[in-house]
Amino acid sequence: MKLKLLSKGTYGKPLCFLVIMALLVTLPYWSGEYVVSIMMLILLYMAMGQMWNLMAGYAGLLSLGMQAFIGIGGYSLAVFSTTYGLNIFVSILLGGIFSLIFAFFISPALFKMSGVYFAIGSWVVAESLLLWFSNWEFVRYAQGINITSAYQFDTVDLYYIALVVGVAAALVVYLLLRSKSGLALMAMRDNSSAAETLGIELYKTKLRCYLISSFMMGIIGGAMYLYQAYILPSAAFSIGWTVAVTFMVIIGGIGTMEGPIIGAVLYVLFNQYLYQFPGISMMILGVTAILIILVAPNGIMGTLHNKTGIEILSARRNVG
Amino acid sequence: MKEILNVDQLAISFGNNEVLKCINFKLHENEVLGVIGPNGAGKTVMLNILTGILKPTKGTITFLGEDITKDTIPERCRKGIGRTFQVPRPFEKMTVYENILTGCVYGSRISEKEARHKALDILEKIKLSDRTKDFAGKLGLLDRKRLEVGRALATDPKVLLLDEVGGGLTESEVEEVLDLVRMVKSQGVSVVWIEHIIKTMLEGTDRVLLLANGCDIVCGCPQDVMNSKEVTDIYIGCEC
Repeated sequence: MKLKLLSKGTYGKPLCFLVIMALLVTLPYWSGEYVVSIMMLILLYMAMGQMWNLMAGYAGLLSLGMQAFIGIGGYSLAVFSTTYGLNIFVSILLGGIFSLIFAFFISPALFKMSGVYFAIGSWVVAESLLLWFSNWEFVRYAQGINITSAYQFDTVDLYYIALVVGVAAALVVYLLLRSKSGLALMAMRDNSSAAETLGIELYKTKLRCYLISSFMMGIIGGAMYLYQAYILPSAAFSIGWTVAVTFMVIIGGIGTMEGPIIGAVLYVLFNQYLYQFPGISMMILGVTAILIILVAPNGIMGTLHNKTGIEILSARRNVG
Repeated sequence: MKEILNVDQLAISFGNNEVLKCINFKLHENEVLGVIGPNGAGKTVMLNILTGILKPTKGTITFLGEDITKDTIPERCRKGIGRTFQVPRPFEKMTVYENILTGCVYGSRISEKEARHKALDILEKIKLSDRTKDFAGKLGLLDRKRLEVGRALATDPKVLLLDEVGGGLTESEVEEVLDLVRMVKSQGVSVVWIEHIIKTMLEGTDRVLLLANGCDIVCGCPQDVMNSKEVTDIYIGCEC
């Protein structure tokens, strides 16, 4: 009877989820510090990937400027926790709030653009922040800030923070896509003019999605810089964040919830291996991405879904 | 019959190009109004104005006694104006069922739970109930047209604007489109139907409006319009 229920999928997915969660929660107790730190990076990159995928894969908003919110999140943590001595978690939360406020004010201008113009526009915003922070005395110009408050955490603490952030990011995306807004996002991505004639308010839908992903990116930025413990404008607002996230999501499968998870695992593990080739690591990464795109244009999960119909974390509505 | 839509002196210009000069017509409850006219007459532009995609430079649109000329596209949809596009625009990466469900949830403003039954009912009516799980991008042209009509019906329209729903289809497929329009009418929906396949359209319309050079030329019962001097002049270019 139990087997029958599992095969039907009644309890299969929740059980799988519980097992994975149990393994993740207990990871520090049965594995070494290196594995824990790798898993922490995977969780943080996965969270970033989920947010970028929400924008590009589900809402059709291809952003090249998500690093703006990583930087705001990182700097909020640095300034509030180190300069003002605020609680670290409050500082991280403030990073999310500041990211959300910033996103709200730039959205009217950004949403006047679409497609590649939106991508470039969002990138310009992030580059402007980089310049501004590099010339701002309050954040010590381009010298950066040593986030001394982060020293109180060890690898295990940081892992648990990353676990909370990673699970929260995946959950936020899943719940949003399963809600009424999920239908609007996907309809808007596939054909915005048709979506509008069905009563979907494009601006509100875009804004909701942008604000959620900006807020979460700010939080992820804070968590990431808690691990890095030193922040520089050139690194915090670097296009490198978006390049990494784009690599992960495209390799894993854009427009699928599993894509950023698979992509993050591959990206982090591959990066660990590539440390042996410092001069050509980016070249190897780029060639690998091109090869995977040629073999599986829809990414690993997208191709798997097209061939076998497999979807583990599906936002799809089924009949009945 | 109760008047549902009143278009009064509608005009639009793009720069110096006056595309619609003066369009007037009325649509009654549960009526199918066919719109004919040569290419460039302004038929699709008129539909785009009625949907809110284009803003008129002059004139008013009154829907159920309310001036909706300045309403946005989603507002018009929620008030009861649905439309299909000349080239179908399905949500390709969503399933057929999700396409209809989106129309129900946003257009009719009902919960997703309530929308499920309605979506299945519509899929049955548009004869796509066996393709619910298929991605809309994989549908053929006739099924895409069916999906367009179904998706518009899902919004609970009082008026449905059909833009060349029979375009690009074979003769037998056009007959199916005619059945589709009859089904829409049987739901109590009024229809403005732009079509180039006039023979088929005449079978399903109560009145016909002829547009040419951005003006309404003649409007009346199908046979009278088709036999009119104006139609002969515009389509053939001379009085025969």
